[in-house]
Amino acid sequence: MTGNISGNAYALTILSPIKDGYTPDEIAYADLIRDRLQGWNMEHNSPMAKVPQTYLCRFFVLDDVYTESLPGAGFLDTLSDLLPVVPDRTRRNALPKEDHLQSRYLVFSCNFHGGAGGDLEGYLRGMWGAIGDRIREIWGYCYGFEQVTDADTFITYMKKCQLPAALFFNGSNDEPLEEQLKALYLKQELAKFAAENQGLDAATLRRNFQAFMQRVAPTNLAEPTWPAGKYRI
Amino acid sequence: MTQKLDLLDIQGNIIRAYGRFGYPMARYVFFNIRHSARAREFVGTVTDRVTTAVEWGEGPGQIKQPDWTVNIAFAYQGLKQLELPRASLSGFSPEFISGMKDRRDILGDDGPSSPENWDPIWAENRKNRDKDVHIFIALNARLPALLEEGYAWLTGVAKQYRDAVAILNGHRGEHGALYDYQDVKAVMENGQPTAKEHFGYTDGIGDPVFEGAPNYDLNVRGRGKQLEDGSWAPLATGEFLLGHIDEAREYPPAPEPILLSRNGTYMVYRKLHENVATFDAYLDEQGRKYPGGKELLAAKFVGRWRDNGAPLVKAPDAESKQKFDAEFAAADQAGKDKLLSDFTFDDDMSGAKCPFSSHIRRINPRASLQMVKGSKPGSMIFNKDAFDTPGALSNRRRILRRGLPYGEVKDRSRDDGNHGIVIMMLNTDINRQFEFVQQEWINYGNDFQEGSDKEILLGNHNADNKFPSKAVLQVDPNSDQAPYMLSKIPRFIETRGGEYFFVPSLTALRMIAQGVVDPT
Repeated sequence: MTGNISGNAYALTILSPIKDGYTPDEIAYADLIRDRLQGWNMEHNSPMAKVPQTYLCRFFVLDDVYTESLPGAGFLDTLSDLLPVVPDRTRRNALPKEDHLQSRYLVFSCNFHGGAGGDLEGYLRGMWGAIGDRIREIWGYCYGFEQVTDADTFITYMKKCQLPAALFFNGSNDEPLEEQLKALYLKQELAKFAAENQGLDAATLRRNFQAFMQRVAPTNLAEPTWPAGKYRI
Repeated sequence: MTQKLDLLDIQGNIIRAYGRFGYPMARYVFFNIRHSARAREFVGTVTDRVTTAVEWGEGPGQIKQPDWTVNIAFAYQGLKQLELPRASLSGFSPEFISGMKDRRDILGDDGPSSPENWDPIWAENRKNRDKDVHIFIALNARLPALLEEGYAWLTGVAKQYRDAVAILNGHRGEHGALYDYQDVKAVMENGQPTAKEHFGYTDGIGDPVFEGAPNYDLNVRGRGKQLEDGSWAPLATGEFLLGHIDEAREYPPAPEPILLSRNGTYMVYRKLHENVATFDAYLDEQGRKYPGGKELLAAKFVGRWRDNGAPLVKAPDAESKQKFDAEFAAADQAGKDKLLSDFTFDDDMSGAKCPFSSHIRRINPRASLQMVKGSKPGSMIFNKDAFDTPGALSNRRRILRRGLPYGEVKDRSRDDGNHGIVIMMLNTDINRQFEFVQQEWINYGNDFQEGSDKEILLGNHNADNKFPSKAVLQVDPNSDQAPYMLSKIPRFIETRGGEYFFVPSLTALRMIAQGVVDPT
């Protein structure tokens, strides 16, 4: 799905149908998934912070589609409105039908760094490797998920549930996640450095800047840097 | 056709900043309602004495300027106690219904500014029904003796209705003493009232000018809205008065019936303590390092020089300031107003003169938010194609400001004296106007491309080493100067209380008093 790729960013949209059943204490599976996802908000950090290269992501349970109003007022509708000979029943039957989903869905949408080729498999493999048990806790009540036993079957399953997303907002600057986190860290540290060292003579400034560069190690992406995915400061 | 306002129906404090009309002192008194029907009679008695916005004159048939003025407003709880119909009550805005305390997160009232640290009258408000602030009455006077005269009248009326209304105590004054009222008065210099507040800045310049206000056409430049061809027009009346068309060519949301809301507005009352010692110490410390010196730095905080309010865009350095001062001294009152208000940021898009985090740029950015990055590092240019009109991002965020300082600075080396400012802001949509400016422009800087930097003077700064507040004073991108960074900005201003009020028209006041408000 090349439409899912913008630069080095990949837009992944997954819709997994949730089984129409309930637990022994009478909670519908879809509601249980939602409860568990809401529980993620209460954790110190999102489990998704552990998944490599995740720019941003969102989970929700889709209960049904929303109908805003009946479409109409095309030329023929207007004509039939004006012609009293058209019986009311005929006119109503000609209007589009209201749509509903056949099941409730778990929706997972995510932007990640996939590189120029959009390495979806690599991302999903990383996701399974990082939080496989948490994935099972959420997806376990979806149709077909019982076939997922390892990274490969997870990839197969997710690809079956994938929707194309030709238009998406890429809110990232295209670099790998660790590059971006390091850049943000450097930017913040440099602002602090500038504030603390303004007005110093050139020699001291140079000396302090060298010490600063040693400390922040710009080429070392591993540390010091910002950790991924902070819920709260 | 231009708008002609019914000034006899509009309360005087909406149209006039009394401090500038010869009333340098005021007393604010707040009431709790104990008996609804009798409280309506109390409102009726006060209404007979309420000062309108009518033009004063000494000629035959003209209304004489009073020695002291009376204005009245209501908190949501007060309107409920006055038994306005539920269908009318539910038409007020959600933030007015919730009250200022409930909006603390949006307003940034945290730490020393949080409601538990407010003056008792405000800390107790909306906690216990008998301590709720229901009615606000403001007395402004020409002289201390006249203020006492007005207060004697008000307490006399309150006594007459003591079964119906009680004056609420709990305004902190000198040495923590608690008072029945909030006194405010202009800061005096050599026995003369000044327009200064306790940090030494000239205040109350450049209030918005809107259509229909008296003489709006005379001082529209710099105070109305900036138009594409360089001219100025008054702002739409509906930004400041309910029941009139606003800048979106709509009527602002207002409660029914229209007679209840028309010619009325919302008022934001805030008591702000000024930490004078912290301010002086920070200005001294940074002023020693800042290349332009201490007074220019003080001007950079606000965007105006402290002594006469000269705007930095017109007088960016000592030399141009001298020229400005000469012109200013020679000008008449109208000329002075023009010198102070008639400017744009069009020639200062990069903020080299008036910093992006300075007070006046944050509270009224004029056309300057329509900016994109220029080719040189640190340069910003006007993006004129992005919007229909230069003020598209600011015309709906304007606020009328009324207020006076309170207390006196007896010891500048201490923060804990009784000194600050009571500010009252008038707008038709508290959320869209006051709360937006407070949340997005004062306590956050993203619209100004300044990240999370706050407005220097009013921002709820945190000097804590983990997340210190900072601000950048920009320089000319074509020069080889380095921008100056203000680091570890302490909190200069602390909120000490406040509430949202509704200021009805005279018609609405009479209807409330008679209990005939009918939304059906």
